Amino acid sequence: MYWKYVLRRLLQSVLTFVVIIFIYSALFNTVMETTLRSQINEQIQGEMMQFATSGLTAEELKQHFENRKERLYEQYHLNDSLPSRIFWRAIDTLTLNFGKASTIKSSSGSSDVMEIITEKIPNTLLLFLTASVIDVIIGIALGLKKAQKPNGRMDRWTSIITMIVYGLPTWWLGMVFIMFFSYVIPIFPSGGIHSIPPPEGGLAYFLDTLYHLALPVLVLVIVGFWGRAYLIRNIVLGTLQEDFIMSARARGLSERRVLFGHTLRTAAPPIVTMALTSMLLSISGGLIYEGIFSWPGMGNLYWIAVQQNDIPVLMGNLALTTALYLMGLVILDLIYGFLDPRIKVGGKA
Amino acid sequence: MEKTLDVRNLKLHYFTSRGAVKALDDISFELYKGETLGVVGESGCGKTTLGTALLNMPTPPGKIIGGNIIIDGQDVLTLTENQYRRDVRWEKISMVFQGAMNCLTPVYTIYKQMMETIQYHRDMDKEDADARIRKYINLVGLSDDVLRRYPHELSGGMKQRIVIATGLFLEPSVVICDEPTTALDVVVQAQIINLLKELKQELGVSFIFITHDLATEAEVADRILVMYAGKVAEIGSNEEIFGSAGPMHPYTKKLLIATPRLHEKVDKLAFIPGVPPDLLEPPTGCRFHPRCTEVMPKCSLEEPPLKEVSPGHKVACWRCA
Amino acid sequence: MKTALVKKTSTGTNGKRAKGLFTSFWNEFKRYKYGMVGVVLLLMFILVVILEPLILPFPEAGSRWRDITYWQDNPDNAAPAWTNWFTAKDKTPQQTLKPVNLVEQNEPGLSFVDGEIPYNYQYDDPPTDIAFRAMVQGDVSFIVSLVRPDGTELPLFDTHTASSVPSDFRVSLNSATIDNVFEFVRGYEDPSVTAVYNRRTMNVMNVLFAKAQPGMLYNPEPMKGQYTFKVTSVTIGAGEITDARMEVAGKVFGIMGTDSAKRDIWSGLVCGTKWALLIGITTSLVSVVIGVTYGVVSSFFGGIVDTVMMRIHEVVYNMPLLPIIIVMSAVFKPNLWTMIILMCLFFWTGSVRTVRSMGLQIKEETYIEAARALNASNSRIIFKHMLPQLIPYSFASMALAVPGAILYESTISLLGLGDATIVTWGQILQDASNGSAVLQGLWWWVVPPGILMGLMGMTFAFIGFAMDTILNPKLRTR
Repeated sequence: MYWKYVLRRLLQSVLTFVVIIFIYSALFNTVMETTLRSQINEQIQGEMMQFATSGLTAEELKQHFENRKERLYEQYHLNDSLPSRIFWRAIDTLTLNFGKASTIKSSSGSSDVMEIITEKIPNTLLLFLTASVIDVIIGIALGLKKAQKPNGRMDRWTSIITMIVYGLPTWWLGMVFIMFFSYVIPIFPSGGIHSIPPPEGGLAYFLDTLYHLALPVLVLVIVGFWGRAYLIRNIVLGTLQEDFIMSARARGLSERRVLFGHTLRTAAPPIVTMALTSMLLSISGGLIYEGIFSWPGMGNLYWIAVQQNDIPVLMGNLALTTALYLMGLVILDLIYGFLDPRIKVGGKA
Repeated sequence: MEKTLDVRNLKLHYFTSRGAVKALDDISFELYKGETLGVVGESGCGKTTLGTALLNMPTPPGKIIGGNIIIDGQDVLTLTENQYRRDVRWEKISMVFQGAMNCLTPVYTIYKQMMETIQYHRDMDKEDADARIRKYINLVGLSDDVLRRYPHELSGGMKQRIVIATGLFLEPSVVICDEPTTALDVVVQAQIINLLKELKQELGVSFIFITHDLATEAEVADRILVMYAGKVAEIGSNEEIFGSAGPMHPYTKKLLIATPRLHEKVDKLAFIPGVPPDLLEPPTGCRFHPRCTEVMPKCSLEEPPLKEVSPGHKVACWRCA
Repeated sequence: MKTALVKKTSTGTNGKRAKGLFTSFWNEFKRYKYGMVGVVLLLMFILVVILEPLILPFPEAGSRWRDITYWQDNPDNAAPAWTNWFTAKDKTPQQTLKPVNLVEQNEPGLSFVDGEIPYNYQYDDPPTDIAFRAMVQGDVSFIVSLVRPDGTELPLFDTHTASSVPSDFRVSLNSATIDNVFEFVRGYEDPSVTAVYNRRTMNVMNVLFAKAQPGMLYNPEPMKGQYTFKVTSVTIGAGEITDARMEVAGKVFGIMGTDSAKRDIWSGLVCGTKWALLIGITTSLVSVVIGVTYGVVSSFFGGIVDTVMMRIHEVVYNMPLLPIIIVMSAVFKPNLWTMIILMCLFFWTGSVRTVRSMGLQIKEETYIEAARALNASNSRIIFKHMLPQLIPYSFASMALAVPGAILYESTISLLGLGDATIVTWGQILQDASNGSAVLQGLWWWVVPPGILMGLMGMTFAFIGFAMDTILNPKLRTR
């Protein structure tokens, strides 16, 4: 039962992903090809240099390289019709053949787009996962407290604060905090993931990372946990009104047991959904935020790629971000199915 | 006969934003050992509220504001919430809910939920508890198999039986059944009713059977309590209410007339004109007087007290007492 | 106990019933104080937009935001005027100085005008700059010097201009008087200092208003008192000089200070209000209408139609909005309306899922079956029976979507991909980011736009949440 569910979800996601990649490919087709053409020409130039001393006549050389160019164009389907080209770009992306970057280099100096992107992924995850985890923990604690005395003073005041921060841009708050706590009162570093040069030694390196992590995570958490608490409060409240909760209380179970064992456990699927979804969203939307803090993650890379017009990195980044996002959703659904026996075990006996 | 439960002048109000809804107003009755007391009345008369009130778990914004609930000689309303939870709920009084559809937590197996309940009340060995659970599951006619299932995997009838088993297995003195058969089809209904009768015989438990279905009531109850608009209209034995002599309270009489008989020809369905009163601002005097065909001037002025007209038979009506 | 997701109302709505529903809703809404606060705030924002022409100190701020000539008399990076109350040092405020004692003298073919422009200087922190301005027509020369309270006098500048039509004439003291002022300083400062000093780095204003003594270059001590600018104009032939004045660009300026391009930030903020409201409301309105209709239609038809529609929805829903908008904006010219359209193209997915599940629930109701039995057409069922029940949820959705739209616009603007022809709060923040406001601690530039965005978000959050709490039966706690 569960495995059927798993399979179905996976297939769905793969299909969605493929469609999205085709859409990307269609949207960015022109730009991608200009880059591709110039990259091919560059390659030909390079080869021409090498052949300069081979002793062939100028005519023959020219002929040879025309052929070469034609062959490469064939190989990359640059002479095909538009739909065909879109198709092949998409296939490229889907097979993770992102190619070489135009200008950006990885920390080891390589131009391989895949390498460039994958070394940024851990940084992004470090920032947003940490903040999300803290967010959710505080959110659950606060949300539970609110649900226990709905419309009490604490509930109402925390809800109001939730609404106050609803429209606050996190990146703006980041700017303000950097201004006050990095420049006006220099306590925290203004950005980056490590000091330059990074300190030697495991513990010092770790602490240095923490030091740089502090301000961005702090800002994310300050704005974030209110919304979580509000949603959790609503989910828990909704569950608390269920008949089986009253039934559990009537059976004389302690309030603690009713709250954690029955309410929270039943509310776990939607709560986990909410927590993971917001985490995934914060990662995909983390572009600006990473930029403000000069945090070397995927979002920042995307922005750099846009500014430097490095299309391969851009496409690869976009594709990978989308893939990670969809994968995250699948994992989420799997966890959900696991937590909810109605899906895990299926229908009536 | 031994008195298991003695309820005196129980008052419960729902404090809503528009005012206090007087859901239970001065309810008094006794429950004897080994008997089934049926509680009947229209929707909204306070039957379910009575059930939750006895467990001291009024649905918010309800609050018990007066009266006594005496079990085994002790007024349990004087206990703290913690004490009530430990000593009364499920120990002395348990409840079989209506619409067993949603009374079981969907994320735990039946076994886990039953085991949890036992462990919260008794200090039993795992084996003893296990044995007890299986005994009662079998008692209600289910195989051990259901224990490892989740609620959503079971049919309505099976769930109802489980809820009954859970209500009984700590062997409390009083079991309140709130419309246990309403949501089930007739065949299963009959099975459940027979089951309850058997259990009553075997275990000597006292039942409070709440329903709006008079036919079922006549089948299971030893004594009947008729409620109207939050008050007791009439209490009597099954024979006194459903027997040939007929009940005394005008409301009860009308209720019985409104129930069509299987073997009688019915040209027109009888009904009680009017609607149940608004408990926010109940009528003055006798709450039934606006709809009563035997109304007297006194009825709109003074509330009739519950008076004994023959041993065990009490009526709250100016015409009858 | 548990109630259905959709409040059961009677089928169909007509004018009277709708009005009745609205009044009962309004009564309920009034009980939520924060909801009322939201409504009041919204009215205040609308008021700001309406009164904009009246409260703007710079009426053309919106259209001339990028026109440096409009702002040239303001100081750059100046803190708001009211900060002066909180600082120990008195900062020079913005001021316009008018000429007095005009003496005209005419010769054949020439006319001379001598005038004085007094300046009562009582501050610790001198102005950012002073500009001499006039409307000049003809062939005119100006000679300007300064008489200081200690009796010293120094020439400032002399320039010449010629124009056949009245034209705007402006001389900035900071740029025009460097040599003369430095010579003046040489007369009083320690020679060893002046020998190696690069006059280009001299702060002219500091020196002009400082006591003439050694140390006036590095440690100027402010000299308070009556200063007088002596202005002489020589006009050859016919000509006219009007509106001659000295514009003192203070150290503090305005309600919200200025930015690095000398623009009055308060004006920018006020102008941005209407764009925020426009973008937010338009985007959320269109998106929610599309989303709700999509959800209802999908749930109504069910089967293949539903599956296909939900697959399409899933594809769009899972595309990350920001990266795509960035690339699209880099390709197309960023423009207010293309931005709104782009946002709508993605925002509509938000409400679809909930609306669809509500729709599925309504579909199962018996009155829908009854309507079908009465041969009602599909569109009738959808529009007359299903949609009206979803309207409350739609309104709450719309209110809650507004802050998101405003946020996206500001994010796009921050990246420099916004519409540069209008001033939005996001644009102001972009300028702040480019102008190193964060580094320099120019809080009056960085903080207010975000606070306003938060305020507007809060306004719609208050309204939306209040609506949601009332209309969402699951949250009823009575």
